[in-house]
Amino acid sequence: MKASDKPYYLRGIPVPETPAPGKELHPWKETHVIGKPLSRADAYQRVSGAAIFPSDTLLPDMLYGAILRCPYPNALVKSVDVSQAERLSGVRAVITGSTPGADLKWTYLQGSSTKLFDPHCRFEGETVAAVAAETPYQAWDAVQTISVQYQVLPYTVDERSAIEPGAPKVHQPGNRVGQPEKYQRGGVEKGFSEADVVLEQDYRTECELHTPLELHGCVAKWDGDQLTIWESTQGVYGVQSKVAQVLALPLSKVRVVGHYIGGGFGSKLQPGKYTVIAALLAKAAARPVKLFLSREETFLSCGNRPPSNMRLKAGVKKDGTLTALQFSVTGTGGAYPAGGVSLVDWLIRDLYTCPNVQTEAIDIFTHTGPARPFRAPGHPQGSWALEQMLDALAEKISMDPVELRLKNIPAFSQARDGNPKYTTTGLRECLETGAKTFGWREALQRVRESGRAGHIKRGVGMAACLWVAGGGGPPSTIIIKLFSDGSANLNMGASDIGTGTKTVMAMVLSEELGLDIDRIQIENADTGTTQYATPSGGSKTVPTEAPAVRAAAVHVKQQLLAMAAEDLKTQAANLIIKDGEIVAASDPSKKIKITDVAGLKKRGVLVGVGYRGPNPKNKVTNPFGAQFCEVLVNTRTGEVEVVRFVAAQDSGRVMNRLTYENQVIGGITMGIGLAMTEFRVLDKNETGKLCNKNWHDYKLPTALDVPSDIVSVPVELEDSEANSTGAKGLGEPVTIPTAAAIANAVYNATGIRVTTTPINPVQLSLLLSEAKIKG
Amino acid sequence: MLPNFKYVRPGSVEEAIDHLTSEGARVHAGGTDLLGCLRDNVFGALKVVSINALDDLRGIRQTPDRGVRIGALATITQVENHELINERYKGLAMGASEVASPQLRNQGTIGGNICQKPRCWYYRGEFHCIRKGGNLCYAFGGENQFHCIFGSDKKCCIVHPSDIAPALVAFDARVRVSGHKGDRLVPIEKFYVLPGEDVERETVLEAGEIVTEIILPPIIEGTRSSYRKVRARRSWDFALAGVALALVLKGGKVESGRVVLSGAAPVPWRSHTVEKVIIGQKLDSKTITRAAETAVHNAEPLAKNSYKIPLFKAIIEEELTKIAIG
Ligand SMILES: Cc1cc2nc3c(=O)[nH]c(=O)nc-3n(C[C@H](O)[C@H](O)[C@H](O)COP(=O)(O)OP(=O)(O)OC[C@H]3O[C@@H](n4cnc5c(N)ncnc54)[C@H](O)[C@@H]3O)c2cc1C
Ligand code: SF4
Repeated sequence: MKASDKPYYLRGIPVPETPAPGKELHPWKETHVIGKPLSRADAYQRVSGAAIFPSDTLLPDMLYGAILRCPYPNALVKSVDVSQAERLSGVRAVITGSTPGADLKWTYLQGSSTKLFDPHCRFEGETVAAVAAETPYQAWDAVQTISVQYQVLPYTVDERSAIEPGAPKVHQPGNRVGQPEKYQRGGVEKGFSEADVVLEQDYRTECELHTPLELHGCVAKWDGDQLTIWESTQGVYGVQSKVAQVLALPLSKVRVVGHYIGGGFGSKLQPGKYTVIAALLAKAAARPVKLFLSREETFLSCGNRPPSNMRLKAGVKKDGTLTALQFSVTGTGGAYPAGGVSLVDWLIRDLYTCPNVQTEAIDIFTHTGPARPFRAPGHPQGSWALEQMLDALAEKISMDPVELRLKNIPAFSQARDGNPKYTTTGLRECLETGAKTFGWREALQRVRESGRAGHIKRGVGMAACLWVAGGGGPPSTIIIKLFSDGSANLNMGASDIGTGTKTVMAMVLSEELGLDIDRIQIENADTGTTQYATPSGGSKTVPTEAPAVRAAAVHVKQQLLAMAAEDLKTQAANLIIKDGEIVAASDPSKKIKITDVAGLKKRGVLVGVGYRGPNPKNKVTNPFGAQFCEVLVNTRTGEVEVVRFVAAQDSGRVMNRLTYENQVIGGITMGIGLAMTEFRVLDKNETGKLCNKNWHDYKLPTALDVPSDIVSVPVELEDSEANSTGAKGLGEPVTIPTAAAIANAVYNATGIRVTTTPINPVQLSLLLSEAKIKG
Repeated sequence: MLPNFKYVRPGSVEEAIDHLTSEGARVHAGGTDLLGCLRDNVFGALKVVSINALDDLRGIRQTPDRGVRIGALATITQVENHELINERYKGLAMGASEVASPQLRNQGTIGGNICQKPRCWYYRGEFHCIRKGGNLCYAFGGENQFHCIFGSDKKCCIVHPSDIAPALVAFDARVRVSGHKGDRLVPIEKFYVLPGEDVERETVLEAGEIVTEIILPPIIEGTRSSYRKVRARRSWDFALAGVALALVLKGGKVESGRVVLSGAAPVPWRSHTVEKVIIGQKLDSKTITRAAETAVHNAEPLAKNSYKIPLFKAIIEEELTKIAIG
């Protein structure tokens, strides 16, 4: 390739130095590809429709599956009669709990186990039977002819009343999921006595449902005893291990492929019962079976962000020193242990310097679908309470809310054993840069001056955050193959869940080998052809996989230079790679094209293997952020318009400025959903069933609910310890403070604290009219 | 999943009517509401009768008496953008523009819009409620945040979902209904049925009858009109509360006119009480405040929808003030 054929960002640019084998890699001092706003490596496939998502999979002879689900929140299955279904035309398999081989154990997230088709259905939508037929219509028709005798039992679907005496029990011992989780440091009573101002407030966030565009499901196919599954998943290896375990198969007999996924947001970190059911149906029918759920089914059975009921008491001194935080949360992960309150208290424990902290988290069983992780589990809920409380404290002590936060920046993680330091903490910079970009002081001033006139009021608000994870870590194994023509194959187990993982990893390889991204082919998310990877979630995919990709690329370079050193009769340590050539640093006339390296030509391929090294000892790596927003509130109707957002996020090095922006906009959009539009409605008085199970009644934010003016401000601190790329996670922190920032802005505009989500006219028009009556 | 039905696409109104008199036949216009109902098993269908080949049912045009005739198959987008409607019946154009989303407005027809089925989530879900022939209304004791504050007759507390019908009522439009016995013109106010009259139907349409056109009377000079809607999110959502106004102002006073609420009752709800307060009066702030107060005077909020009281007050006040300013 001629130098001028190279894309602008590669022209005439040397690739980074190659460390001697065995040497530790340090983050790049300067980059030429990394950080650029490059469009997706698979943009064409995605836009043209050439990308084959699991739900697009069509196999010869494929059947369609459908699941019969319990319509009651709590019922015993007394009998199941499938005789009519079996006789219907097109029906090829019908399975129930009594079908040989289908009497299998199943565990939702953790702990107590149930059955694949459990005779005791503890939530609406629990599985009762399944059918495979020639067409989806035949399968659905057949499901409807299955006659089931249920013994309908009393239910409890509201965690607020589920521990009252006499509430129907979800499991025999009672409705508490183990002991409450408690945390304490210092003494809160002492802390409150030292405070000048103490406030206490209840908060609630409503349950949100995952709504990825692509539904949950898979295609399952057997070749003899070898099972292949094409699943819409965030992690093929997670699916592989669970399916292998449930079906008692060796890992080698289960291949899971998931090249594309139309969104998961945490709800596809694990397979579902549907995965195993598809495999059983395929086995019974001896044909491949496609089993994708309906939206209603996913709303009932594929997870949620649990509702949270929180109380926070906080003490502060006049100078802004936080003296005590006391927090409790009650929530529900549904009918099985599923982390109903997990991480809700983390920000209270760890975001701000505070010597006296006490938290308690109470998880309760209800007859509802089990929760699954939902983008930044627990954090937006805790943020809703903590960040509104800080806003209220700031007002009480007449301090700017940004100032109050700046007063309490922690130097280390207070809630972790041994108080480890953060590799970098950009909280201060996020607050300062964010405030500056937003024009925070001026905006506050404008609101003050706009004063009383008119019923459309302007308000501004802000909130800050950290994310408990986001540092990534082992394991990850990456293989890179450099072919004799200088093109390369990047082989990784991790999924690209729409965030741009493939693009970012190709950029790392491009950076290291000076290779045009178009010459890189990516093979990923297939347990048959790649190596083990953890599911893509926790904002850890870049900091986990990118260092391993880099290590693999360096491994290739080391081998290549060693081979070239033989050709050029010099030491590998003398050689550098430049513009597709290997050149002796001391004598530029001594050079050889990569494609002419004899060893490479002879072998045809160079294989580099990279592993994710360990994280630094006694340090934690967390991303931080601060978001600022402006709203307009109609103080008669309670209509709120979000006018603009600024997000300053410290996620370490920006790997790709475009995908960075994507995450920020997506995170804020989702945060607007929590703050303003989304809530699950259960018919708690009469039937316990889900009321809003479609995309009209379950209200996602629309394009009009999201401002076009969203500015992302990377706070790019150099992190030389976190990992060899210096990148931290981004996908989750960007959605953590959004809702609280909006609530604070609404308060700024109206003087009304909305402590329960969502802030919509249903709630706000009432609050406004009550406030007017009170005067 | 859709039920198993026959699909026909007749070429004339007469043929369509013939098809529609058969058992389990359903009219299909844009299908945006019908297909949802069928998929969710709100009701079944043995035969789906598409009226899309009936070109006479298309188009919007002026009538000889300077009124406007809107064919039942005119799309909501066409109503929203039509010049005559924007010029003279602004409130109707505004109502149309507030419907659903651009895609649904392009596909949905005005006939389908005024005949659409209720959006009560029990009705649309697996609940065999009174309106579907059962014996219980789940909403009264259940999740009724989006239900009505007027006109439930203690039987069924749906709200009428249309944003267009209230404006049509405000303009005193008439609906042409064609059936075996011929045509009849029904004032749109009489087109809808309250639960007290018959809880299992929403309109006066008999089996085999279809809406063919909607007639707007000529506009009276001095008419000012508007439609205002509040929803739970900013698009693709039905009204929490809405108000259609068509008022004739002369010499600074309201001479005549109508005030019609959406999101309030099982039918587009004409607020005679507000009309009484404002007709003959100047729209000054005192009258407007009194009008807003009386609007909700005899409302019967349910456990979870009392927010509609301040909301209706707010939008009536807001809209009357705007109309007064002109
Ligand atoms: C997600 C969503 C959001 C929506 N939001 C709104 C909203 O905010 N405001 C609003 O006003 N509407 C809203 N709608 C309703 C939408 O406006 C209607 O679905 C549409 O207007 C119906 O028109 P159509 O031609 O598609 O009717 P179809 O679906 O074809 O028919 C609807 C019903 O009317 C009957 N019908 C149709 N035409 C005739 C006729 N000529 N004579 C007799 N019967 C007939 C059909 O049998 C059927 O029962 C929404 C719909 C959806 C799906
Ligand atoms: S409000 Fe009407 S439609 Fe809804 S449950 Fe009650 S009877 Fe049925």
